[in-house]
Amino acid sequence: MRRKLVYSLSAILLLAVSLMAITLGAGYHPALGLDLRGGISVTLRPVTGQAFDKSSLDLAVERIRERVDSFGVGEPEILRQDDAIVVNLPGVNDQQQAIDLVNVTGKVYLRPVIGCANPVTTTPVTSIVGTATTTAGTATTAVANTTVVNLPTATTGASATSGSTPTSGAPGPTRRVNSVPPTTDPASATPAALTATPPTGGTAPTDTASSDTVVATGETTTTVAGATTTTGLPFSDPAATQVLPTRDGGKCQVGPSGGTGEVFVRDSAAPRIIGGGWGVTVDLKTGGSGEGVWNALAKECFNGTATCPSKQLAIELDGQIQSAPTVNAENFTGSVQITGNFTKNEATKLAQVMNSGALPITLQAEAVQTVSATLGKDSLRAALIAGAIGVALVLAFMFAYYRRLAVVVLLGLCVSGTLVYSITSFISRFYNGVLSLAGVAGLIVSIGVTIDSYVVFFERLKDEMRAGRSLRNSAQRGFKAAFHTILVADSVSLIGAAVLWYLSVGAVRGFAFYLGLSTLIDVFVAYFFTRPAVLLLARSKFMSGKKIMGMEPSADANQALGATS
Amino acid sequence: MTEVLAPETEVSLHRTARARLYHGETRVDFMGRKWWGIGVSAALIIATIVSLFAQGLNLGLDFNGGVQWEVPSANITDAQARDVLNANGVTAAEAKIVTVSASGVERLRIQTSEQPADVRQKVSAALAKAAKVDIKDISSNSVTASWGKEITNKAVRALVVFIILVALFIAWRFEWAMALSAIAAMLHDVLISVGIYSILQLEVTPATVIAFLTILGFSLYDTIVVFDKVDENTVRFAGSRLPYDDVINVSMNQVVMRSLNTSLAAVLPVLSLLVVGAGLLGAISLREFALALFVGLVTGSYSSIFIAAPLLAWVKGQTPKYKAMRGPRAVGVDLERLVMGGSPAARREAQRLRSARAGDAAAVGGASVNAPEALLTHAPRPRKKKRR
Repeated sequence: MRRKLVYSLSAILLLAVSLMAITLGAGYHPALGLDLRGGISVTLRPVTGQAFDKSSLDLAVERIRERVDSFGVGEPEILRQDDAIVVNLPGVNDQQQAIDLVNVTGKVYLRPVIGCANPVTTTPVTSIVGTATTTAGTATTAVANTTVVNLPTATTGASATSGSTPTSGAPGPTRRVNSVPPTTDPASATPAALTATPPTGGTAPTDTASSDTVVATGETTTTVAGATTTTGLPFSDPAATQVLPTRDGGKCQVGPSGGTGEVFVRDSAAPRIIGGGWGVTVDLKTGGSGEGVWNALAKECFNGTATCPSKQLAIELDGQIQSAPTVNAENFTGSVQITGNFTKNEATKLAQVMNSGALPITLQAEAVQTVSATLGKDSLRAALIAGAIGVALVLAFMFAYYRRLAVVVLLGLCVSGTLVYSITSFISRFYNGVLSLAGVAGLIVSIGVTIDSYVVFFERLKDEMRAGRSLRNSAQRGFKAAFHTILVADSVSLIGAAVLWYLSVGAVRGFAFYLGLSTLIDVFVAYFFTRPAVLLLARSKFMSGKKIMGMEPSADANQALGATS
Repeated sequence: MTEVLAPETEVSLHRTARARLYHGETRVDFMGRKWWGIGVSAALIIATIVSLFAQGLNLGLDFNGGVQWEVPSANITDAQARDVLNANGVTAAEAKIVTVSASGVERLRIQTSEQPADVRQKVSAALAKAAKVDIKDISSNSVTASWGKEITNKAVRALVVFIILVALFIAWRFEWAMALSAIAAMLHDVLISVGIYSILQLEVTPATVIAFLTILGFSLYDTIVVFDKVDENTVRFAGSRLPYDDVINVSMNQVVMRSLNTSLAAVLPVLSLLVVGAGLLGAISLREFALALFVGLVTGSYSSIFIAAPLLAWVKGQTPKYKAMRGPRAVGVDLERLVMGGSPAARREAQRLRSARAGDAAAVGGASVNAPEALLTHAPRPRKKKRR
């Protein structure tokens, strides 16, 4: 029994010390929230009445993160909370910049490629047709060398498949074409007609007057391919000719958008293994708004008209070209295949992009909050000082009331504090969480909860001693009963924290998280630290004094430490 | 508290009320005083309702929507700020401008209705210029009205879910009567806290809402400590046909120190946040939080003793089992016996002290029939271990 207690006690002390050592050694520290160090917080929500689903929001979060990262904002916090997205940008203090940063439309544009500057390989060439067997390109080739394809339904054979060898020395592209679209009349669709169909209907990203609605703000219209390197991702302007980056660091000059992702059937895009490599298949909506728009574009690119000399069709999402496959057919019915040197992840990602493009969401900034850096610092300092004084007061009270037994409280608080600090640091480091003012307040409040557990235990212990039991015996019985109470009471706190965390947004969430965390730690520490510590103390000479914890052991106590009157 | 705990008979283990409290030897007839508690609560609740109807709550920006700036006000006056607003197309007349003090720095807090982003940005820049500070030193906060509504709805939804879950939990862990009383006490706390915010017209912010939700947790923690003891005593006195009022009284006396200490331990850090953090160091955001917590903690500890327990006694008293056991409450020495009773050592000790002090053992005559030991002719068989 004694040995077990010693083990438990040393184990938790070792845990606390080593966690602290790792944390300090690795230089982890809790990332401070916006309200503690200044910055801007933007809360976005889909415009009311819009149909959307959670996955498109998740994708939007990812897009925002990429965009924010590309601008080099330090320690941003981007979270989806239910149907809202909260973006915290510490250190940013220009509201317009912040709103531009989170400017994610979720709209996928289909834009003819004029030319590409590619860091790895030469620009993809105009060859249209390839054989199915070619697996040319290196894995590192740029987006531009993916290749579109065609109808899965048709049979192999016709004109396109005439099976020429990989042509014109283009190193990259993998091409395969199995079939030919049934009927085509190349002449019918003129490029002009195509470009006249900008992103369909009402959802077109108009320049908004109140820029609260986060839509494209058509800023960057760089002209020369590959020339400019702007900081961060440029903003998409579907109506202009732009140079946009590709996913792998290349750049392509693309023409005005000829259609949006809305030509695709929602949720139809899926990664598939096509001819030995990963690719994506996607269904087209029937009718003018789907196949009509797509085929017009395809025809343009297939024929390499002036608007689409490269024969590539770029799939662009929020200012970044996701893929720019070469069009290998002129007319598509039903579905489209995109193949290339995709990895499974890339294919999955592309499919995701196309799916979300089929039902884009427009986000609106519901709340924008700027916290000045000085105000934040002051709050943090005040919270820390107040916290320290609070802890000191509580400890003083504990020592006055429980005398020597309060040593356990002191050590216990150290252990809990270490655990909370380390866990918070780990979370900051690995899960992009931050400690906000509400979180700090939650932690300070939890000091009260932690102390509660000690009080419950010690009062119980006193009850037992009063009933005439020895200290050693009382400690054991007392803990058993007290732990029962602590468990029940902490469960309620935990339920509260969980409900708050699950159902609320923003600051409340941070608070709930830290309340929940410290409640869990409280139970943990009570069982693995407080119990062995008190039980061992109860056996030691340290507690055998006459007036331990301010009360005399009863005359009937086994040890007969001396009757009092 | 000292008044309540004053000695009621000449017999006592420790002389002063403080010492008896410390040693768990109180014998306060809480149930006999329940009308005091209920009366105070009723008065507060009526005041709350009247105030809510008369002036409502002072809801902050986050609930109503709008824009707020905070500017260090060393170089800018109220009128200048209004000029800035007017110059940027914001109707200054409807703007609310107050001076707040944070960290020894006076700040102007300017609140207006919703404004588009470009206007906000322009106003921020213009304010920075007028106040001769860097734009970094200006805090602004803008919330659309629909978002404010959403936040409110979420908070209400969280509250409802929380109450249901907690009620289920307590009912499962203890019993329905306790769940009912605990929830009622909790609602009582929220109502009174809201009332204090309404009466004093303090601004309700998201921080306040967080604090209110925390209060629920604290209030329940206290109540559960009391109920846990009641639960234990119900089992202990199960064979002695003791009226439920007595069981509650005994439990309350046994946990009163625990309740006081836990409340004190919880209040101290909050008080420090309020006085040191918000008061001396002037962190406004801390004040919003700490104030609500403080109010809630105090009402929470109060309600666990004066609302939850009497309510539980009343609900349980209605059940057929306890209806049959109704009788006069044990008070004074009888109550003390019940509180201290159970362990032979304690009884012997008490007896010895009493006779030593009073000189005659007869003073204790006429023991209550309700005392469990009176019913037993031999030491009780150790209770079987059961799942509790």
